[in-house]
Amino acid sequence: MSTRRGGSPVNIKDMFHSNASDDQGKIFSTRLYQLTQRHRHWFFIGPALIILLLVVIYPIIFSTGVSLFRVTFASQSRPFVGLQNFERMLGNDDFIQSALNTLYYVFFSVSGSFIIGFGVALLIRRVTAGKELLRLILIIPITMAPIVVGLMWNWMLDPLFGLVNWFLGLLGIPGQTMLAQASTARLTVVLVDIWQWYPLVFLIIEAGMATLPRAPFESARLEGVSSWIIFRRLTLPMLRPVILVALLLRTVDAFRTFDLVRVMTDGGPALTTETLSLYLYRTAFTFNKLSRAAAGSILMLLFIGLISALMFRYLYRDVEVG
Amino acid sequence: MRVPRSERILAYVILIVMAILVLVPVLAGSVTAFKPQIIWVSSPPTWIFEPTLENFEFVFFTRKGWLFLRNSLIISIGSVVMALILGVPAAYAFARFRFRSSKALMQWLISLRMIPPIVVGLPFYAMFLYLERGLGIGLRDTFPGLIITYQTFLLPLVIWMMRGYFAELPAAMEESAMVEGYTRLGALWRVVLPVVWPGIVATAILNFIFAWNEFFLALILAGNRTSTLPMSAGTYIVRTRVEWGNLFSVNLIIMAPIIVLTIILRRQLVKGLTFGILE
Repeated sequence: MSTRRGGSPVNIKDMFHSNASDDQGKIFSTRLYQLTQRHRHWFFIGPALIILLLVVIYPIIFSTGVSLFRVTFASQSRPFVGLQNFERMLGNDDFIQSALNTLYYVFFSVSGSFIIGFGVALLIRRVTAGKELLRLILIIPITMAPIVVGLMWNWMLDPLFGLVNWFLGLLGIPGQTMLAQASTARLTVVLVDIWQWYPLVFLIIEAGMATLPRAPFESARLEGVSSWIIFRRLTLPMLRPVILVALLLRTVDAFRTFDLVRVMTDGGPALTTETLSLYLYRTAFTFNKLSRAAAGSILMLLFIGLISALMFRYLYRDVEVG
Repeated sequence: MRVPRSERILAYVILIVMAILVLVPVLAGSVTAFKPQIIWVSSPPTWIFEPTLENFEFVFFTRKGWLFLRNSLIISIGSVVMALILGVPAAYAFARFRFRSSKALMQWLISLRMIPPIVVGLPFYAMFLYLERGLGIGLRDTFPGLIITYQTFLLPLVIWMMRGYFAELPAAMEESAMVEGYTRLGALWRVVLPVVWPGIVATAILNFIFAWNEFFLALILAGNRTSTLPMSAGTYIVRTRVEWGNLFSVNLIIMAPIIVLTIILRRQLVKGLTFGILE
């Protein structure tokens, strides 16, 4: 970066980006001026970067540090325990249970919202009148706070007066307590999560489809290629980066779900809906085991980092970002 | 594109069913906010009744809803303003200056989207606690504390969105302004910002939505003085009994402004929700 400029004291580019006073060309050909010009971006980026280091990097360093000691909010003594907290976490049945629940949650919520969202994106292209209105209605769920969504569905699913059971009653099906039974609670929460987030997939895929070139599709259609083959051989491959973005965002969000589960089941019944976020929250704030929660959150971060790094690498193979 | 009639009808049927699945819970729930207490939980649901505002009155005054509303507004607006002040210049630099680490930094910013809030919330809780005990600096349960913490998810988004808007403008714009004697900052302020303000508004609105709906960090870091609206919604559930009418009044207060903002913003929504990765 610096070697190329060594020769001439002022180059054309610096003149061009100069401010009013140095147009008079007095002392600004000094090395100091060049230095500030070369690093001027830090002047713009610096403040944001400092705050980001504070709010993102500091917590990660702190958690890593705390996870190596035994720290509680109550006690003053903090003995160094090495990797003991990690061992305890990985050997803890509840942690493993909540990790498995989270994987279940991620898998079904992501695939469910992806399939429905993709389907809706394909369908809405076939619609003419009322398209704007339909789109507007369909995206309402993503704008709602997850906690509001959860409370609303609690009401819908209430075994005594909820609309869902009332509707089932009309069909002759007796009232169900979906959220209170271990066999159905997990699926019910996942379905509500899908209800809230398939519109996100829909929006992303729709936006992606709008950018596709028309020519290959038109010529394929002229040659009489069936729409299924067009979809498999043209639409899907061309949408690959967009699909990856949708999957990546959904995976990350499903992985850290907290609000929805917190208000719908709070992890119950019998831990069947306990997610990692919920379990770690409880470990830290109910059971006062700060170090163990920190160790768990580092494990969680490593895991999601690994997943998204893999997806990212796949993504960057064909998209230029930055 | 040309679509066969039967296909179009099928598309309409499915989409209308999907729309109904969205509208029924949202509307039926919201209607409960206007029901008098006696029919909050009637089965089958009562649809014809004299609408009342008593639930709103109760929630707003007796349960101090106005206070939560105020807190939510202060925290959301405050954190968005802070994110814009820090993020807009940074976004400008990423869009205009070529420097070695720019690409890596932008990718790092997206990766921040992956961090689970518990990873941030826990250390911040501890840090606020230690600051209070050790140095007497109280940030727990204060607006500045929450506003700073919210930068974890707002600031990267502001930078990504605004970088996109700046990149759409020709660089010649400020260069010609600088030839006429503006400094770069002057050109940014007087020439560029007046043109990108729709982008700034869109960015601000989307970030406001995220801050407004935030629950997890507030649950950990807010207290009596700074409780937000989403947190107050939880207080209407008692283990044995839920005050549905009151709860849906709060839900409506949380939801209504966001739905209005979404209608205004709908065209820009994808860009923000995807971090502009698609650009």
